[in-house]
Amino acid sequence: MHKLLIKNELLGCIQCGRCSAGCPVSLRTALSPRKLIYKNLRESRKLPKSQDIWSCTTCRTCQQRCPKGVSVMDYIIGLRSYQVERGKIEPTMRDALESILKHGNPWGRPREKRTQWIDDETDVRILSEGEETDVLLYVGCTPAYDPEIQKSARALAKILNDADVDFAIIGNDESCCGNEVKRMGELGLFEMLVEENTALFKKYKFNTMITISPHCYNTFKNEYALDFEVLHYTQFLKKLLDEGKLQISASIDKKVVFHDPCFLGKQNDEYDAPRELLKYLLTDEDNLLEFGRNRERSLCCEGGGGRMWLEVESESPRNAEIRIDDAKSIGAEIVATSCPFCQLTLNDAVKTTKSEDKIRVVDICSLIAENKFEETEMEE
Amino acid sequence: MNKDIFVVIEHRQERIADVSYELLTKGYQIAEKLGGEVIAVLLADDGDQMAQSLKSYADKVLYIKNEIFKNLHSEYYCDALSSIIGERKPALILFGHTVDSFEVAPALAEQLGIPIISNCVDFDIDGDFVRATVPLYGGKINGEYSFNAENGGIISVIPGAFKVENPQKSGEIEKIEFTFEKEYDDKEFIEFIEAAAGEIDITQAEKIVAIGRGVKDEENIDMIKDFADSIGAVLACSRPIVDAGWLPKERQVGSSGKTVKPKLYIALGISGAFQHISGIKSDTIIAVNKDPNAPIFKVAHYGIVDDMFKVIPALKAKIEEMK
Repeated sequence: MHKLLIKNELLGCIQCGRCSAGCPVSLRTALSPRKLIYKNLRESRKLPKSQDIWSCTTCRTCQQRCPKGVSVMDYIIGLRSYQVERGKIEPTMRDALESILKHGNPWGRPREKRTQWIDDETDVRILSEGEETDVLLYVGCTPAYDPEIQKSARALAKILNDADVDFAIIGNDESCCGNEVKRMGELGLFEMLVEENTALFKKYKFNTMITISPHCYNTFKNEYALDFEVLHYTQFLKKLLDEGKLQISASIDKKVVFHDPCFLGKQNDEYDAPRELLKYLLTDEDNLLEFGRNRERSLCCEGGGGRMWLEVESESPRNAEIRIDDAKSIGAEIVATSCPFCQLTLNDAVKTTKSEDKIRVVDICSLIAENKFEETEMEE
Repeated sequence: MNKDIFVVIEHRQERIADVSYELLTKGYQIAEKLGGEVIAVLLADDGDQMAQSLKSYADKVLYIKNEIFKNLHSEYYCDALSSIIGERKPALILFGHTVDSFEVAPALAEQLGIPIISNCVDFDIDGDFVRATVPLYGGKINGEYSFNAENGGIISVIPGAFKVENPQKSGEIEKIEFTFEKEYDDKEFIEFIEAAAGEIDITQAEKIVAIGRGVKDEENIDMIKDFADSIGAVLACSRPIVDAGWLPKERQVGSSGKTVKPKLYIALGISGAFQHISGIKSDTIIAVNKDPNAPIFKVAHYGIVDDMFKVIPALKAKIEEMK
């Protein structure tokens, strides 16, 4: 029996099918975790060569729903790693991984442009080796390079400055966290990043790290052995709010719904901090709507598990499009989220479902920054 | 120093590769400079027709016949070539820098003990020396390399580096029935697999016309396809067009599609999401979009803020006028 089957408790599987029933991509692709396990246990104890595993978004719904404690998602990631080892990986994912190895980001952008998100109006301190700060803002690759998500990074920096937080960033030496690398099955590169990043963080003195992406947050918190506190920015801002260091006055009188990012919710049990922040922003708390599928049942946007670099063949609409349609049907005008990937996939879906005049997708930190610094603009 | 230029002809399924004609054209210029001849070296089994079609490009076609040459087998190629080259000692031997020559050219240089510069975009001969230009770092910079060609040398050139001109020669065909002393049974040619019909490789296109959501309706694609055809461009698109099922996935440019590197990229009705832009590595990007704030204008070299359905007919008319 292959060690991957033993390690992930596959023998405990009772074929109840809760994994497949909850799987957000089994809606639109051939991936069925239950079937995969069945075939692996029943027909052959060798690892299956199925290509369906690449549809997985590593949202962790399967693993969370399993009543027998089978590590379904970890098993799928394990299967990927064996394919990656044999060179069987889609070219788009391979290119993203190669770019991480070469440039420290999956987007094929140069290292020396990592701080280009900082514009003239954004005041951010870049740490030199040995320097000290209270809070280290780990920017992450997508907020650093994607012009749309750079707005979130700038918004967060503004908020932190306004709240007098002693914070700084690493700058161009910052490198990919490896969360997606691990989930694409490139475990060797992931190990290397863990080593390099851990050594990099030791060059500076700080108490808390905050991240913009729940993906970075997840891997730093759970998969590195770091000796400092790691928080997602929504958690940190909530803390500032509780301590009276951040003031948010209610100014949004639109109906808002929060889309739970898998890596913040399902994977790290943080459902409340973002909702608390939104409540402060709303003139009427009742305007905070909920999706039918929310919190631990939240529908994955399909941006995780390396799927930003891989399309799957399907006749069915993208989950993000279903999500936008759901938002419209409950009467939401703003879909708030707190993850760069969710923001990108949902924003695309707003365009493809022609909902631009009905729905706006926005990151919570951008909403807060607009509320604090550009109140007039919000009115338009 | 000998004066003749050998061009090793590359062929597959009895079709001669374009790069061979490019090399014959360049070889002819060099041979003229040296006062020698350009000789097409064709290793083939059933190559009479190919030899005929080479005649007008070369002073001589050296047709080396053996059934082994039906398909590429680098060891046999090397043995035959080194025996012929050893006898006739040409000034230079030219190869296309292709997957076929990767296997043959360096091994041949080693076998003959002569220098080689591979991956060239240009070369010239200067006294006893050959100077060649080799792109480095993915074409960001060029390196100049040279070797002493007194005892001959090999150059392999990237396809597309030279224009083909037919000098209308009528070279004689010298046919040699070649026999091998040594056998190689450690590898064999199994099968030739043709790329599935209809598949277009947008990554190889020199000109691309790409459409985004601004195209609005599937019916409008025909008109843009017409425009693309009229300028010899390949049609590509952003993700929503594939999602809508209007164009197949192999036409998608972006981080979850293909990375393209055309000389000209015309983006029509594409807003320019980062994930699309990361797939474009083009010298010239022209964007047409109604929204002046569309992020595509940040990366475009030229931009037109207007309705693409007004711009394209005007552009097409202008291009027709110039033709």
